[in-house]
Amino acid sequence: MDLRRLARRIRVLVRRDAVERSMADEIRHHLDCETEELVRHGLPPEEARRQARLAFGGLEGVKEDARDARGTRLVQDLGADLRYGWRGLRRSPGLTVASILTLSLGIGIATTMFSAVYGVLLRPLPYAEADRLVAVWERDVVHGHDQNVVSLDNFEAWRARARTIDAWAALMPVSVTVADHGAPERVIGADISPEYFKLLGVAPALGRDFEHADAHDGRVVLLSDAYWKRRYGGDPAIVGHAMRVSGQPCQIVGVMPASFDPPRFGWLGGQALWFPMVDSPEKRSWGRFLLVVGRLRGATSAAQAQAEMRAIAAQRERETPDDVGWSASVVPLKEQMTDDARVTLLVLLGAASLLLVIAVSNVAMLTASAMRRRGAELAIRRAMGATGGRLVRQLLVQSGLLAACGAAGGLVVAMAGVRLLIVLLPPETPRLTSIRMDTPVLAVSTALAAVAALVCGSFAASRGRAAEGVSLAARASEEMRGTRRPASGVLVAVEIAFALTLGVMAVLMARSLIRLRAVDLGFAAPRATVARIALPSTSYPTDAARRVFFDRLVERVRALPGVTAAGLVSTRPLGGLAPATTVRAADARSPHDATPNGGVVADVRWADGPAFSALGIPLITGRVFTADDGAAPPRVVITRDLAERFWPHRSAVGRKLTVEMYGTLSADVIGVVGSLHLMDARTPARPAVFLSAARFPNSVWDVVVRTGAGAEPDGIVSSLRAVAKALDPSLPLYGIRTLTDLLDETLGSDRFAAFMLLTFASAALALAAVGVFGVFAAEVGRRRKEISVRLALGATGGRIMTLLVAHAVRRAAVGIAAGTVIALFAARAMNALLFGIAPDDPASLSLVIALVLGVALVATVVPVARALQRSPLSALREE
Amino acid sequence: MAPPQADVLQGTLDLLILKALAAGPLHGWAISKRIQQLSREVLTATQGSLYPALYRLEDRGWVAGADAQSPEGRRIKVYRLTADGRKQLVEQIENWRVLAAAMHHVLGTN
Repeated sequence: MDLRRLARRIRVLVRRDAVERSMADEIRHHLDCETEELVRHGLPPEEARRQARLAFGGLEGVKEDARDARGTRLVQDLGADLRYGWRGLRRSPGLTVASILTLSLGIGIATTMFSAVYGVLLRPLPYAEADRLVAVWERDVVHGHDQNVVSLDNFEAWRARARTIDAWAALMPVSVTVADHGAPERVIGADISPEYFKLLGVAPALGRDFEHADAHDGRVVLLSDAYWKRRYGGDPAIVGHAMRVSGQPCQIVGVMPASFDPPRFGWLGGQALWFPMVDSPEKRSWGRFLLVVGRLRGATSAAQAQAEMRAIAAQRERETPDDVGWSASVVPLKEQMTDDARVTLLVLLGAASLLLVIAVSNVAMLTASAMRRRGAELAIRRAMGATGGRLVRQLLVQSGLLAACGAAGGLVVAMAGVRLLIVLLPPETPRLTSIRMDTPVLAVSTALAAVAALVCGSFAASRGRAAEGVSLAARASEEMRGTRRPASGVLVAVEIAFALTLGVMAVLMARSLIRLRAVDLGFAAPRATVARIALPSTSYPTDAARRVFFDRLVERVRALPGVTAAGLVSTRPLGGLAPATTVRAADARSPHDATPNGGVVADVRWADGPAFSALGIPLITGRVFTADDGAAPPRVVITRDLAERFWPHRSAVGRKLTVEMYGTLSADVIGVVGSLHLMDARTPARPAVFLSAARFPNSVWDVVVRTGAGAEPDGIVSSLRAVAKALDPSLPLYGIRTLTDLLDETLGSDRFAAFMLLTFASAALALAAVGVFGVFAAEVGRRRKEISVRLALGATGGRIMTLLVAHAVRRAAVGIAAGTVIALFAARAMNALLFGIAPDDPASLSLVIALVLGVALVATVVPVARALQRSPLSALREE
Repeated sequence: MAPPQADVLQGTLDLLILKALAAGPLHGWAISKRIQQLSREVLTATQGSLYPALYRLEDRGWVAGADAQSPEGRRIKVYRLTADGRKQLVEQIENWRVLAAAMHHVLGTN
């Protein structure tokens, strides 16, 4: 349709009344002319006029066709329907407001959850050709770990040989001390291949990217936008300046753009700066430590690339003894980054959808109850010529109007909801910055509103039909019989079923959380604070110098008021990934051999003696380290599960084992401590081996401090800082956390899921209660005459109450039965989130069923009680 | 014997209106009369159906309506053929000629 035609149609619409008048004039003029001619031919005037009318045809039909011909009928009718619908909504403001609020809540919450699912799981990564980016891992076939970091030799071999992956980059997280103007601070960054940013298709906003030559000595650094703004105030002339990184000067060559969000996966968290990875013999001796990212060639799939990589890994197995038992895995990068959050987000989206269905069916029932009163009106309008189609269209338009208001309200709820969600989501949620309200989310929101309009409109239309049919004469007898309304019965059953499902999901998650909290971690989290200190090799070049520093540090910390114990450990519990290696019992007759070579993989930690009491790890037999354990041969403290593994029902103290660390160590067991959950509450306890800090000094330690009851944690932090500063002001004390905070963090995702599900379940229960109440109150209202008659005939209030409530309970039972089945499916779907509780846990199910039944009972008892209070005569007199 | 009457199809009514206006602008009733005249009283549409057709042609931009005064001083609306309408007329006449020839051929009424 061209513009002029559109302009003509708009003009017609705008000047509607004038156009109608003009048409009426035209037709009148036509009839006059025709009449005049017929008179000229000799007919009498009235006869002439009649003939003229006949010749013309049906006036109204012509007018309708004429309106149609102008192409504006649809719009005009729509306009009329909208005005009519709006008037109808305003006539019952309470119902309208309640409907709009309910829809806003349902649509808003569903939109919010969808924005999270879209932002985290669906939105393409913000890198060039992001769907072709993959993470490549080594695969430990023997122990069944599919994603293991990669050795430098393998990375180079893969890069040279692979054909399905045509671009490669490696990276590893690093923690450095930055000290130039300003206080020294510990910053997390990454060492990267010079091609990494080109692989991602991101260029620095200031300065230049790394070049191949930079990998030679690596004395350059790229800053993130956030770090540049924070430390250097966004100084535009920063490129070329030097910064002191871990005692060495480094030149700043560029700043990455503000919009750049580097991928986070594996060990890699947020990164504030980047260094080029420098090859060195030392790195080659580190074994496996690299994270590897690649780009698939052309249209190859990750599966095809994995097949090739496995073949290459098999080649490497034959070439290098170190690679025996190792293969490779290829995972699409987006999946790698978001897999952890997938189940939680999808479960919550499902829950929000259930809530939406409940909200929509409440509104449908509200709309339908308004329809009931309009039965007479609709019957009259149909008698006056309105077609069934027209009436249905009007009801759909009215529902559409309601849904549009609900959608607008939902948008407001969603905007606030998304902000709230970002605050509530655990901070380690992948792609948190990607969650926002934009086009795809808005499109979904609109679609939901349209579906809601359709459902409510159809329901209202079908009720309108029923109401018409029942109007006037038939109404009285129908009320006496108390006929059932099957359609609203279905809706109530659906609401009860979904509310029950949400309730079960919430209770299971809440109980999982409680059980997680109750796990005995093997150490005592309350009143324990950890802080990390790293000594640069320039100021502390020898083991002796380091030992002196740490001895002094721990001594002074122990002397602080309120401190009951203080010690050193290599990596704090709940501190993330740390070394693990194979441990074997030295006597070959160990019965419980887990691997072909007879070893067990155990976590490795270094600690001094007081660390065990500082961490609250109970000693079971033997002893912990003393200062004398610095002598050879090395001694170890092991956890109980390891002792049971190797020497069941026998004392482990005094036995020997070998640890694949520093080559192969042979060590004496001097003590056994309780099993430990070093990762988090969910991961089962793993065997662990402690080596003596005195025997293996290091430059980086976590200081663990236990305070007595009554000491405030903040006081300890500032005291610790003061002690460190007094010993060496150039050293930052970083990573200062309490173990309780760390524990809460590990439970962050579970807490979030439990909170959200409980919120959804409460809202669902409230809405369902309102729905049940509404339907039952309406039914009781309809049966008032019947109740009055029964009362007059001698029934007691109690009997009537029992009768009606039993009737309601039977109807609710359908919903409860259906809900139980759906709840079992839903619980199975969220099994990955549960801990220590089965998806079909009968206690949880019974609790929720009892709750839903109770709420339904209350919702039915109240209207009956109110009906019984009224005088029976007044009900009978009402018409 | 009365001349054979023919119901007028919608598309052909449009064409008739365009042809009727080819000689000059007319108001609604006059168009109806002109069509009757030109067809020698064979084609008589129900007069009312003229107006929807007129408005459709106006919407398409092939005729343009303007307010005017009749000789008796009454307010009337007069329609004229636009340039687009004139082009349409020529095209549709040609289409009709082709169609009629084909029909003649098929029916053997040459």
